Parts: sequence; structure tokens; C-alpha cells
Amino acid sequence: MKKILVSTALLAGVLSYAGGFRVSLQGVKQLAMAHTSAHAEDASVTFFNPAGMSFIPSKLSVVAGGFAASNKVTFQNFNTLQSTETDNPVGTPFYAAITYRPIEKLTVGLSVTTPFGSTIKWPNDWEGKEMVQKLELKSFYFQPMVSVKLAPWVSFGASYIYAKGVVDWDKAVTQFGGQVNINDKKASGHGYGFGFYFRPDPKLDVSIAYRSAIDMKAKKGTATFQFPSQSIYNQLKLNAAGQDGFSATLPLVEEYTIGLTYKVTPKWQVSADFNYHGWERYSKLTLDFENAPIGNNPSDPTILTSPKNFRNSKTFRLGTQYAFTNMIYGRLGAYYDEAPYTTDNFIPETPSYDTYVVTGGIGIKLKQFGVDIAGGYAMPQYRNVNNANLGFYGQSKATAFYLGLGLSYNPF
Amino acid sequence: MKKIIISTIAVSALLFTVTSCNTDFDTDVKDIQVTKGDADFSKYISLGNSLTSGYRDGALYSSGQNESYPSMIAGQMRLAGGGDFKQPLIPNDVGGFNNLPGFPGKLTLQVVNGSLSPVPSTPAAALDVLSGGGSYNNMGVPGAKSFHLVAPGYGNQAGLATGTANPYFVRFASSATTSVLADAMAQKATFFSLWIGNNDVLSYATNGGTNSQTVGGVTTYTAATVQTGNTNPTTYKSNDISDPALVAGSIKAVLDGLKSVGTTKGVIANIPSVTSVPFFTTVPYNPLTPALLGANLNTLNTSLYGPLKQALTAFGAGDRINLLSATGPNPVLIKDVALTDLSAQLTAALTPSLGLPTATAFGQIFGQARQATADDYILLTTSSVIGSTAAGVPAPVNVYGISYPLQNQHVLTKTEAGYVKTATDAYNASIKSLADSYGLAFVDAAAKMLELNGQSGISFDGVKYTAKFVTGGAFSLDGVHLTGRGYGIVANEFIKSINAKYKSTLPQVDPNKYSGVKFP
Repeated sequence: MKKILVSTALLAGVLSYAGGFRVSLQGVKQLAMAHTSAHAEDASVTFFNPAGMSFIPSKLSVVAGGFAASNKVTFQNFNTLQSTETDNPVGTPFYAAITYRPIEKLTVGLSVTTPFGSTIKWPNDWEGKEMVQKLELKSFYFQPMVSVKLAPWVSFGASYIYAKGVVDWDKAVTQFGGQVNINDKKASGHGYGFGFYFRPDPKLDVSIAYRSAIDMKAKKGTATFQFPSQSIYNQLKLNAAGQDGFSATLPLVEEYTIGLTYKVTPKWQVSADFNYHGWERYSKLTLDFENAPIGNNPSDPTILTSPKNFRNSKTFRLGTQYAFTNMIYGRLGAYYDEAPYTTDNFIPETPSYDTYVVTGGIGIKLKQFGVDIAGGYAMPQYRNVNNANLGFYGQSKATAFYLGLGLSYNPF
Repeated sequence: MKKIIISTIAVSALLFTVTSCNTDFDTDVKDIQVTKGDADFSKYISLGNSLTSGYRDGALYSSGQNESYPSMIAGQMRLAGGGDFKQPLIPNDVGGFNNLPGFPGKLTLQVVNGSLSPVPSTPAAALDVLSGGGSYNNMGVPGAKSFHLVAPGYGNQAGLATGTANPYFVRFASSATTSVLADAMAQKATFFSLWIGNNDVLSYATNGGTNSQTVGGVTTYTAATVQTGNTNPTTYKSNDISDPALVAGSIKAVLDGLKSVGTTKGVIANIPSVTSVPFFTTVPYNPLTPALLGANLNTLNTSLYGPLKQALTAFGAGDRINLLSATGPNPVLIKDVALTDLSAQLTAALTPSLGLPTATAFGQIFGQARQATADDYILLTTSSVIGSTAAGVPAPVNVYGISYPLQNQHVLTKTEAGYVKTATDAYNASIKSLADSYGLAFVDAAAKMLELNGQSGISFDGVKYTAKFVTGGAFSLDGVHLTGRGYGIVANEFIKSINAKYKSTLPQVDPNKYSGVKFP
């Protein structure tokens, strides 16, 4: 029995693209149970629901963890019989959180997470190089939060979100025989989150949370062009280094979560979650260049708008935990995650698939310390690609694994 | 308890097996075999004109030929038993012939006065004759009209001076008396492509519906003829529109000739609307903005446009000219030979105010003048004429397009464009019916051109192609012929049609990997 659990746990990996570029890796313990949310054992609940802080048993809780997420995307073109694989670096999402309860009614906390991001690296001269050669998206959420016990069985919590982001995008500029790097290391945005956490019965936890969308604003980005000759710089109104400024807004979308955990026996609990992601905000990406007339807006040629046409998506999660002893815990989970766009809108810079993921993990508790490992194996469903707007046709598939290691400290 | 855990694992395992079957492709392209279907690609020849030869940037040059659409198709055919594809390569990458008048080297994009413009280069070499090199698979001859393919002596060097021969065919014709068709038949090809007929209307259109004659350094232009009911090409002038019956007959003769030597399988393409290429769509009909005209605007209105409109209105032709607008763009002034000539009436009407000599000149200049409309096509080559002064014409009525009409050779008027369209439609109707009756694959090049010309153009893997001059990516610097990428788009249309007709599975090419417009 244990063997099976351990071997399942070692099936490492998850497709970090929970639709678009949402990375569902904010808690190792949670991940092992399909990244469900109604777990108020330690400070890792903060990202999932600020209200959950009020139900953490210890007054002070500190958690931190990190993941290694690896994935590979393949695209094949039936017209030209070309097949291309990505060479993506291993992603390393992490999280850290601290909560403190000065008085019984009030808990304060801080959570740092990387909930959105993706790094994809296609071969430099692949057929879709005009769309993307390499794209690195990073985001960091800093969330101070507070939670209030409204009654012994219910709490309300809210957080302010300050988000920092990095975008680094290489793509070819075929018509001029060169390429461009679109870069902003200082994008930022603001948002908020709030939620209710219920424990109507010692056996049942219910978590309801909302996290707002954040418009990541890249205000002072730099687009660096490289061409075989510099005469084009003048035509495109670039500076002597072939650069132009740009601004853009990337939406990090809102999320609605409802989750519950039920203790079937004192040792065995089952959790289920439903997430709703507001991806339809990402209907287009607009790059507004300072001078370069390389856009497609009839009234302002420096504005380049690309349709993205994302749509809202859902995630269904089911997880379970069993306490073998009061020191060793085994966890399993499975979830289904919908791609946030149709076949007609598939884009190679953020590939998305309807994905089944199986997860598992082991937790070890030593007095106030906890060590958790988790792993996952994603099964993205291959899909047809039929993007007429880009003239991008074929099929795409992906594989993904991930591993996580988390630590928790609950001194008092 | 254990039961529950085991069942949970079992459910996970089930999920795993049920879904994992959709994680991998049903068919991996690496396993797809390229097949020839019912066709035999072992010896492919291509017949046609400049488009087939790989002509671009106003010249035929080696790197352009290496990106001709037939050579792309041949490259894909090689995956299904196709043989070598020999092209009559120009021995340099500049093109043109320095021993023949009117054959400059390729256009290159240069920065002139701060803006990019195409500049012709000096031809690199004299006409080279390759006929000793045997036969060539790519038999595209720049400038060839449909009937030229069946014309004996079209490759006779001695005929260059009289215009009965074409230097591009002189280069690789097997003898002085042969025709393109005869040389093609001699190859006994297993597969052919034929794309001909464009030049039967194109030279009419690119010359604004005129023929020209240069005697002693002076060029005179006369209206070209729209030939109908005359299938004798020896009576044609070089820019006449060929009689559709002649075009259909010539193409049929080519197909019959090939059929007689067993070359029965092939692909034939129709003719795109010639007026949708950048050569006709780049220069707007109304480039005269108030800013451009400046203070002259009012002067023009009071001393020229006003009196003209007044006089023309009296003869019921007031719609020919309107006063210049101080707020919006204004059309250029053009001469339209389809209009009733009101020279005498204008002279009579203007004599009291201007005096007889001036009124006579005005009458001659403006008798068939009108302002251009959106239905007229100002030629790309006319862009440098607008605003320049007409030789031998007294100021102030000597500024082309503004105070002196652009002449017949500068503009393809609505009427002339109508002739072009009528002829093109007639040619295309016969090309389609010949394709059907000879059982050939058919390429609707006209439809593809329409798509390219649309607002959204055609995209390949994120690269958008339009019919816009220079920046559209598909057309080369001459505004008529394509870039390597444009030819890639054409090659794919041929490949799709071949596959559909002959059940072959030739892969398409990736247009983006060929060359486009080269920036300085």
C-alpha cells in the first residue's frame, strides 16, 4: 500500500499552464491533493483564501516551498510535414507565507507567490518564429492580509495584492529579415482578494474566495530590434541602438474558488474544489509603441493589437489525505483543467490544453515542523490548431511533470 | 479504510488510462509518406511567362530564379519520385542585358532623399545563350503572351530587332526556328504546369492602354486596341489586348501538343485580376492635399478649375471637373480618351476671356480632361510624373496632374480597366473549361489574389501578407511580380490543386522561409 503511494508521489510533474499562464502551484500540501483550497492547517492557506488564516491552529505559522515544473510542447504541421518541439527550461514557482494571530478574533498574514508565469522556448528558426521564439512571463504576488473571526464557525478575510512582473519575448520580424525582443522587467499592478471560511461542523471546512484580476502594466518597456542593416531603424523611427519604447497591459485574471474538505474519519479526509477563471479579459494584447509605426491600428500606426480571444475556464479538483500515523500523511488527487481558448485561437506563446492531472504526495510532521513533498503528472489532451488569423494550422500536444518540496513551521 | 484508499487509487489509475490515449497524436507527421498518387513527377516541366520564370524586382536574376514557384514545386515532387529541375539560370544576380535597350538590372531598395525607393541597377552582362546546355525544365519566358508559346522563331536572335523574338527564349531555345511548345514537347515530360495569359492583358494595363513608338528620341503614344474577332497576332501591336479566342486557341494548342507526346497530366492556372497588383493600387487617385497645393489652391480654382467647370457645365459635362477642396484630398487631372472631345467648344467658350491663342491651347489640353475617380488606376510609374512639368507646354498649365492632365499612358482609366476585366474574365472562362476537358488540375489564382488583396491578407504562421507595395511582403519592387514568399504562396496553391486532382500528398512549402523585399 505504502509502496503504491510513494511511487505515485514520485510521478512528478504538472502542466503549469492552468489555462493560459496560470500556474496552480501555491502549496505543496495542497498540490498533493489536486491543489484544493480548504486546508487551514498552516499559513499556506493564505493564497487560497485569506479567511482561512483564522482557522490555523497555531498563532504563528510560517511556510515556504518551491517546485520544479518541466514541460514540453510539440507542434506538427500537416501541410508542410514539419514537426517542432520546445526546449523549455524547468520552471521554479515558489511560495512563502507567514500568519500571526495577536488576538483570537484577528489574524494577519503575508503571502508571496508566483501564480502566473510561463517560459516557452521554441527553436529559433521554427516555422512559427514570427509569433514566438522565446517567451518568459513571470509574476510575483505580495499579499498582506487580515482575517476576522465573525463567529466560532466562520471568518472573513481580505488581502491587498501588489503584483510585479517580467515579460521577455523574442520573436522574428520576417518581413524585415530580423527579430525583436520585447522586454519589461518592471511591470506592476494592484488587486485585492477576499473570502469566507466556514467550519459549521468539526468535520467540514468550506472555503469561498475571490481574487480580483490585475492589470499588469508595462509602462516603460523596451523593444529592441535587430535587422541585417541599420537603414530600417530610420524607417521604423528607432533610436541608434534599434530600440523603441512600448507600453502594454497583460491581464492576470480573476479567480472564483469554492472548496470543501470533509473528514470521513479522523484519519481520512476528502477535498473538492471548483475554480472559475475569468480569462475572457484576455481578449486581445495591445502593444503601444512610442514611435515605431509597426502597428495595425488604422488611426494610430504605433498601436499593434493581436486578438487573443480567451474565454472563461473552469477547473474541477478532487483530493484526499490519509494519516498513516500522526507523523506520516499520504495524499492523492486528480483534477481537470479546461483550456481557456478554442482551437481557432490556439497560440504558440502560451499553449493550452484540456488537461487531466494526477497528483500525490507525502507529508511528515515532526512536532512543530512539517515537511511535504508532492508530485504530479499531467495529461494534456492533444488538440487541433486552426488559427486562421495567424495562418497557424496543425496539431499540438504537450507533456508535463512537476515536483514540489514544502516546509512549514508552527511554533505556537 | 484500505478499501477506500485502494478504490481511490483505482479511480486515479482508471482516469490515467482512459485519458492518456488522447495525449499523443493519432498521426505523427514523421510517419507520413509523401506519395505521387496517380501522377508521375519524374520529369516535370513548367510553361508560362515571367511569373513562372521567377522574375522579380523588374528583372530575371539567379537568386530570384532559385525561388521560382516551379522550382519550389519540383523540390516537393522530389519527395515523391521527382527528378532534377533545371532552370536557365542568369549567370549573375543582377539580371538585365547590357547589349539590349530596355533591359535594366534588378530594382533595389535605396534610401533616396530620406525615403526608400526602388532604383534600377546597371545590367551585369550581355545576353548569354545557353542552348548548348540541353533542355531546361523551367521554360517560363518573361514577357511571353499566350500565342508566343506556339510561335516558331520566338527564340531566334535575329528576330530581336524586329520584335518577333524574345531574348529570354533566345537564351535557351534549341534552335532559331523552334517554339516554346516544340521544345517542351521534345522533353516528353511526365508532368507539366502551365500559367499563361497574364501578358495578353497586362502590357495593355501597365501602359495605360497605349502603344508607344519612339522615333528620333521622341516617343508618341497611341491608344492600344482591344482585339476581338481577330486571331492573327501578327497584326497586333505589342500592348493590344489579345482576342480571347486567340488566347483560348493558343492554350489549347499547347495542351494538344503536350498530349501528342504523352504529356497529359499537369496543372493549369487562371489569371489574377491584373489591377489588384501594387503597380495599380499604390498611387492614390486623389493625392493632392490642400497642404501640398498650398497657396496655389485658390489660384487654380479662380483661374483654371472655375472657368473650366463653368464652360464644361454649359456643354453638359460639368461633372468632369469640380473645384479643388481646401479641406480634403483632391483627385488628379487626367486625360480620358473615352470622353467626347470638347476641344473646339472649350476654345470657343474661352476665347472671349483668354484670347484665341490661349483658348486654343486650353481647348486642346482640356478637351478630354477630367478629374480621376476611385475607379481609375494611376500607374506606379506615374508617381514621379505627378507634379512634374510637361515639356513644351506653357506655364502655368504645365504641371502634370494639377494644371495639366496626366496623359493616356499614365493612367488606366475606368473604361480601359473595364476592357482588361472583360478580357481576363473571358480568358479565365476558357482556361477553366480547358482544364476540365483535358482533365487537368486547376489553380484559381484569381481567387487567391483577391484574398491577398483583402483587408486581412493571407497569413502564414503569424506573418501577414498583403498586396501592399514594399511592406506587404508578397510583391517585389516592380509592383507586378512576386517575392520569393509571394511565389511560395503560389507554389502552395499549385501543390494543393495537384494533390486534389491526382491524389498525391506533396507537402506544401513554408513561404516564410524564402526571401522577401531586401531593405538597404
